Amino acid sequence: MKKVIIALLMVAGTFGAMAQVTLNVLNYQQADQAGYQEDVQIWQDFQTQNPDIKLNMEVLFNDPYHQKLQAYAAAGTLPDVFYLWPGARSAVIHEKHLAKDLGKLLGADYLKDFTGAATNPNNQLGKYLAELPQSFTYTAVMYVNVKLLKDNGFAVPKTYADLKKMVPKLKSKGIAVMMLPDKDGWPGQSCLFSTVAGRMAGDAFFDNVLAGKAKFTDKPFVDSLKVVEDLFKDGIIQRTDTAVGYGDGPGIFAQGKAAIYLDGDWRTGAYITDKASGKALIAPADQSNYALMNIVALPGEKFPGVASAVAGTGWAISNSLPAGSDKEKAAVKLIKYLYSPEVQAIRYGTGAYVPTRKGVKATLEPLPAMLPPFYAANPKTCYVLDGVLDPSVYNVINNGIINIGNGTQTAAQVAADVQAAFVTWQATKK
Amino acid sequence: MTKAKRIDREAGRAYWMMSLPAFLVYLLVMAFPIALSVVLSVSNYSGGKMFGGEAWGFAGFGQYARIVQDPWFWNALKNNFYIVLISVFGQLPLGFIFAYIIYRRIVKWPGFWQGILYLPNIISIIVVGLLWQSIFSPNGPIAELVNLSARHQFEIKLVAVLGSQGHLNLGDDALSRIIALGGPQAANMFTNPVPELRDLIAGYQPNQYSQLLNDLTNLFVTRWTPDFLNQKNVAMLPVLFVILWMYTGMYLILFLANMQKIDTQIIESARIDGANEAQVMRHIILPALSGTIVNSAILAISGSLSSFALIFALTGGGPSRITEILSIYMYNNAFLGRPNFPLANAIALITVVISMLLILVTKAFESRYGGKEE
Repeated sequence: MKKVIIALLMVAGTFGAMAQVTLNVLNYQQADQAGYQEDVQIWQDFQTQNPDIKLNMEVLFNDPYHQKLQAYAAAGTLPDVFYLWPGARSAVIHEKHLAKDLGKLLGADYLKDFTGAATNPNNQLGKYLAELPQSFTYTAVMYVNVKLLKDNGFAVPKTYADLKKMVPKLKSKGIAVMMLPDKDGWPGQSCLFSTVAGRMAGDAFFDNVLAGKAKFTDKPFVDSLKVVEDLFKDGIIQRTDTAVGYGDGPGIFAQGKAAIYLDGDWRTGAYITDKASGKALIAPADQSNYALMNIVALPGEKFPGVASAVAGTGWAISNSLPAGSDKEKAAVKLIKYLYSPEVQAIRYGTGAYVPTRKGVKATLEPLPAMLPPFYAANPKTCYVLDGVLDPSVYNVINNGIINIGNGTQTAAQVAADVQAAFVTWQATKK
Repeated sequence: MTKAKRIDREAGRAYWMMSLPAFLVYLLVMAFPIALSVVLSVSNYSGGKMFGGEAWGFAGFGQYARIVQDPWFWNALKNNFYIVLISVFGQLPLGFIFAYIIYRRIVKWPGFWQGILYLPNIISIIVVGLLWQSIFSPNGPIAELVNLSARHQFEIKLVAVLGSQGHLNLGDDALSRIIALGGPQAANMFTNPVPELRDLIAGYQPNQYSQLLNDLTNLFVTRWTPDFLNQKNVAMLPVLFVILWMYTGMYLILFLANMQKIDTQIIESARIDGANEAQVMRHIILPALSGTIVNSAILAISGSLSSFALIFALTGGGPSRITEILSIYMYNNAFLGRPNFPLANAIALITVVISMLLILVTKAFESRYGGKEE
């Protein structure tokens, strides 16, 4: 009898153990950014609420994350749930369909609570919903220190000429008119040039280039680069910005050393209060002295008011999970939790982004609260070039902008280099 | 079977039993990745599951052809050769000379100098990279010092135009001279330079003369930055300097340790016979250390070609790729943007081949000209 009871207990124990599903998760998290503590709590809460799902989590940030994801993809051991970019940054996952189609898995009924831009598969490299974008990102935003401008007798600028007028006065006070920390190369392209090119050349021009009907050496593209050249030449952006790391920018701007700071909309999170330390780069009381603006009107622009924007990052599920399996169900449960109104409200509140989930409300500090009106005021968007061009091409643009900034290349020379890289890329594609 | 044969067979079996695990580990950890790297370099593998995923196969030697046609490969190779040169002809001779000076106690407190020169080796490579990056930065201490002096010089010229009494009603000629002091880029800041500058100065009261002086200096002084380091031909100089600074101490220790093995009686008898320090070094120390020198050269060459972390932290291959070296060139192709694993593996193998060639040259040089180490 005793043996039977022990056997029954063992069987019960086995079933109990089988009921718990383990999910391997590759999380993208920065420990020194405002919102980290809240993010950690989000995951702990899921674990507490779901004892039947065990999360085996690995946390990385920036390039190490991408490298590890590539390595996992190469080894065929992708985590069950992972963070994904919609474009070339996560090209292998999209092109090899290594992530499940969330459009089918989550269903139209669930996705109707998200904005159309987020659920449009054409906004992702693989033309399917490999990840569900948590936000729709504007990559070029002018963070304007309105008070600093006012103290020096200037209104918020509307045109390129307004910016140029500020140079003598602000420079004499040791203040840069506009700051673009471009040592890493991509900010120049993503946070400035994509919008400039969208204004001067337009998306159709890049469609034509990709279709072989136009060249990067054509006037619209060269003119776009000339705008960047002028920004440096006229002293609006300082040449030394090409040696300033992306991470150093917000601190310098918050110290009042620049009147305007160029960055993506995601950067509002860098300025608000970190709940863990209680500190903020710009105190909430002072945030109303700032404004978020689209890049000013440029001389000769063909498409006024457009701003570069792209579907944001989000969570994906590995395609290796068997359809209908317990693991797949657990992964879906986790995804739905991460995109729930409650979790999205927390993320929204920490300034991480403005959610693509409709109707999410949060208590916001003044700076992130400026984002929804900014989006509403700037509905016309254009390509972010690193979202539509191959890395072997857009990296040449990134480097070219640095060279223009340093004065070592002209707009025409950079355009020629970009065209050469494009031709080489096309040849290797064949 | 004779007893001797049985013992031989048992010895053979024991040999294999003991060496096989290590041999298998070697195959798995060393030989397999190298073989896989060779295979991948001539494949059309494009990411995703490597075994059991999308089929991939032989694609020829196109990646190797692509590399040799890529100007950035030659740029990276050239930079690597600079590092090899500074390592072999900079770190080694300097390390040797310092070791000799310390060994022969030509300086006081040899232990102190040994510690000081070795110190950079015990600092994290990343810390060293970031430290020197900030030193060479446009806002770093070198630039700040130069700019302090430049500001002072500019203020003297400005005072000469403004006059020390501080009257601010300047004529067109004086305003033009101030703008000219700022160089050609000063005029770019204005649409109508002279009237706009007059308006700017009009905003100051006569009692704000020192403020005006400061602000006009801010506006017109040409801020010095080490922008010459953005030029292709000199961008590697600070990198080479840091490499020299960092690793010379390591070779000093290697040479010193081997010098201490030399019988001091030989040196003493040479000195009694009238040999000076240079002759002792030329005829005793150098021949005795030729093997160590070759081994150090091999270390320096292989280390130079595989170096990554220091330059990645220091410049990241920038600005605009001009300080890229082979390992960063490979890393960028393997992990940044759309990864090209065949290309990255081909770069890695080319690096290995170059490294082996240089080591063979060093060995040949040593066997031709080297002395015999005791």
